[in-house]
Amino acid sequence: MFQAHSFLWHYLWVAPNVLLGVLAGVLWKRKLHKEFRSFFLFAWFEFVQWLVLYPMDLLPRISAATFWTTYWVSEILESVLFFLVVSDVFVSLFSQYEALARFGKLLIRWGGALLIVTAAGIAAYAPAQNRYWGIQANNILEEAIYVVVSGLMLLLFASAAYFRLAWQHKVYGIALGLGFSACIHLAAWAISANRILPGSTHNIIDLIDMATSHVAVLIWFYYLLIPEKAPAKQPSVSLPENNLAVWNRELERFLQP
Amino acid sequence: MILVIIIILFFTAAATMAAIVGVATLRRLRAKRNAGHAAEIEAIDIEAFRNLANPVEETYLHDRLTSVEFRTVRRARLRAVAAYVQAAGRNAAVLIVVGESAMASADPQTVEAARQLVNQALMLRRNAFFVLLRVYVALVWPNARIAAIPILDAYGEMSGSAMLLGRLQNPTVPVRL
Repeated sequence: MFQAHSFLWHYLWVAPNVLLGVLAGVLWKRKLHKEFRSFFLFAWFEFVQWLVLYPMDLLPRISAATFWTTYWVSEILESVLFFLVVSDVFVSLFSQYEALARFGKLLIRWGGALLIVTAAGIAAYAPAQNRYWGIQANNILEEAIYVVVSGLMLLLFASAAYFRLAWQHKVYGIALGLGFSACIHLAAWAISANRILPGSTHNIIDLIDMATSHVAVLIWFYYLLIPEKAPAKQPSVSLPENNLAVWNRELERFLQP
Repeated sequence: MILVIIIILFFTAAATMAAIVGVATLRRLRAKRNAGHAAEIEAIDIEAFRNLANPVEETYLHDRLTSVEFRTVRRARLRAVAAYVQAAGRNAAVLIVVGESAMASADPQTVEAARQLVNQALMLRRNAFFVLLRVYVALVWPNARIAAIPILDAYGEMSGSAMLLGRLQNPTVPVRL
């Protein structure tokens, strides 16, 4: 059941990618692709990547070397799309607020640069033990990508929590799916790339990784396609007079020229 | 070395998950209780805060005290500054939520006042973060200079916006903030 090419393995490779293709189609139909351009491209790319890689894996005449080389190239393209999606989420969240628009840009620029350097350092220490260079290169590349994506998602969620930012429903859904999958993938690839568990457990780690992608796709489906509940009519916000009076007295004294 | 890397990677993954859960909890809490936030605002003695952050006082103490005494006094003052800045930051966080909630109002004036309040509260929270960083550095190295003046300015501006929002939402009540 937990082996490669088992029913569960096929399901977990096919279902999330087909669902992403469907999601891309629905986004296009609802004209949401203009609003979430990079996510639309990402969803579409994932589907096309599966259309190419899945048959390649099944066809016996395709060599392992060819498969892993193709996979590796597609991972590089996927990483570019990942960063575009994360960057768009940052822009969507921070550009709502004049006071933080510049701060958000600086955060992703410097945070991203620092994380890329960190990921390169971590990749340099990854052990080379696999006979196919493609598998090893792929493990290290995935580990590096998820170091950067996880780090950026950590920055994004931590700063949103610190500043009490109000998320748009759909942007929150994209970030939630991406953040959830990034942290599980990071843990999984840290195990795979650094070979800390016996080879027999790698299939289970792969399946956990694939199941995580499936959950992320379901999260995206929910947040992007189910309309947000209309916010209830808020009662008038009244500030307590006692606190306000004390505060005002002290501040007015301070504000006197 | 590999073990250290793996620990760092797992820590990053766990921290990301914790941040996600934190944001999800905050969203849920915000949706449940939008009213009653204003009661959480703490009164802050801004004059005492200003005295603590006054460089002239620091210079005076530096000239009068021995270096060991100065470091002790300065650390105590820095801890007090940190407490004030943290309180100001907490107030700003409350006002962000109050302002965001007021943005749903049908009155364009209230919406505009709320927007200004949120922006100024965000600026204060950002400044508070950087001031706290500098305060903690100065606690380790007491000869470092700190600058709390920008946070005072932002705090003053924010109070004006909060006062305007209070008046717009309760025109019959002579609210002073």
